[in-house]
Amino acid sequence: MLADAISAERFRLLKDRGTLFWGVLFAPIAGLVLNIGGELFARSLMKGAPPIPVDIVGRMVKALAGGASPVVGLFVLILSTAVLAGDYRWETWRLLTPRNGRVNLLLAKLATVAAAVAISLVLYTLAAAVGGLFSAATSGGPLVGYPGGSPLVDLAGTFAISWLQLMVLVALSALVGVVTRSTMGALIVGLAFAAVQSIVASQMHEPSLKALAIPAFSGDLLKTVLLMPRSVTDEPAPWALALGFLLAWLAGLSAAALALFQRQDLTRE
Amino acid sequence: MADLRSIAHSRDKFIRESSDVAEPGPRRMSYALEAEGLTKTYGAVRALDDLTLRIPAGGVFGVLGPNGAGKSTLFRIAMGLVRPSSGVARLSGSPAGHASSLRRVGAMIETPRYPPYLTARDALKMLALQSGAHDVDIDGWLDRVGLTGAADRKTSTYSVGMKQRLGLAAVFFTRPTLAILDEPTSGMDPAGIQEIRELIRRLAAEEGATIILASHQLDEVRRVCDRVAILAKGKLVAEGPVETLAGRKPALRIVASPLPQVLQILGEQGAADGPDAALAQIERHEAPALIRALVGAGVDIHEARWREADLESAYLDILQAKEPADAR
Repeated sequence: MLADAISAERFRLLKDRGTLFWGVLFAPIAGLVLNIGGELFARSLMKGAPPIPVDIVGRMVKALAGGASPVVGLFVLILSTAVLAGDYRWETWRLLTPRNGRVNLLLAKLATVAAAVAISLVLYTLAAAVGGLFSAATSGGPLVGYPGGSPLVDLAGTFAISWLQLMVLVALSALVGVVTRSTMGALIVGLAFAAVQSIVASQMHEPSLKALAIPAFSGDLLKTVLLMPRSVTDEPAPWALALGFLLAWLAGLSAAALALFQRQDLTRE
Repeated sequence: MADLRSIAHSRDKFIRESSDVAEPGPRRMSYALEAEGLTKTYGAVRALDDLTLRIPAGGVFGVLGPNGAGKSTLFRIAMGLVRPSSGVARLSGSPAGHASSLRRVGAMIETPRYPPYLTARDALKMLALQSGAHDVDIDGWLDRVGLTGAADRKTSTYSVGMKQRLGLAAVFFTRPTLAILDEPTSGMDPAGIQEIRELIRRLAAEEGATIILASHQLDEVRRVCDRVAILAKGKLVAEGPVETLAGRKPALRIVASPLPQVLQILGEQGAADGPDAALAQIERHEAPALIRALVGAGVDIHEARWREADLESAYLDILQAKEPADAR
């Protein structure tokens, strides 16, 4: 049963403190430290400067918008490779596969990582909010309202897009993990993909099909359409196509990983 | 070679018996594991070669064979870890590797490994969740395999024996009707082997499961198993009740010279056993007359000793008989 496999994977991840720390908690903790540290550093440089208004929601949206950066992606990859390819490393597939279906096992891992990535993103966003509150408390700056559209829509939308971008990396690490049977292989390939797509996307300006096929470009386009609709162009932005590409990447990579895993011989995992 | 003929005869008889009960009808036997024309190749290596084997339900069945004989490959196919190149395997009549058949099976294939960050208690809990067995008495099982004191230690700190014991708990705690144990005592010291052997016997008796046991420990197999199959180079070379395979007639081993003259006198009852010895398949009361005949013919007898039949010699004989057949 898929529900049993998900319960088992969740239980297992909660016991794997190293992966939990580096894969789920480290990015939010680092974000919090950088927020507070940056604030203290700025205060020390600008003694006597007038207090700056603090937009908590704006900081959260900004944090979420940057939540799919290659740096955050590195920590997500640490999580996903440990969960998705760890059983090759520990030679423990032979313990698991006779107890549940292979598709269930891999889907459960993907679902567990998806939930953990979502939690990590939420914590990352909360770290930005705490940093904002710290800034307001120490500088005496007033808290101001979110100047954009609906705060909930922007928060939820940016969260969903960044999560989707990160899940493309997760699905890639699942596929590479199955192919290479190696956590390190999945981590390196995933990281290289994250870095290269980010660089290539930054070089592309027009939303051509080639550009939209790059997950980082599609994600950025969607966030721009959501947060700054006027800045896009006077033509309707191909947001549906961008979303379609992101979903296609996620579905295609996951399906390929599942198909290969289902047929894979587990001799020496 | 008379003794090998008798083994072949026993094997043929057993196969005939198996065939008889395999026919449809009221006497049809249920099989825990069936392999039909099972072949598995890894590149140029043929791990299983058109293997047909039926392991009846009930009791303890031993699978013997040298390294590379295909035992682990057979079990991995049965458990759905490896796909056969051709042929089919069934567990209790259902296709091997399918969730429906695996639900009733527990397996420990080679030395069990666990995620190193899990304690024994966590490992069993995780496996119980994975199996959908939510009412497993984990503490009770840890107690049964003697790991209560180490239940909260990480499995990465466990000895091989402790891992094997935890593996046995993981095999039996879902109350399987079939348990596959692949070399459950490998890498263990004699005391550990004895301990695991007792544990297997006890669990088999208490849980009432069919147990398929692969081992290099022939003494272990002789003590624990009711029937055995011997594999070599991916093929079945012998199968039958342990006493049938091990309980062949004893033979008189005669070290004498000149050996050709000894073999001539023995005729069909004799066979060379190395460069300077012959094996005489005779009854015990025939020995004095044979010795007199040999001495009377001018043969120098250096040694004459009864070689008792046992599983180990039967196993070695069968494998040796397989080698020339392969060479041909």
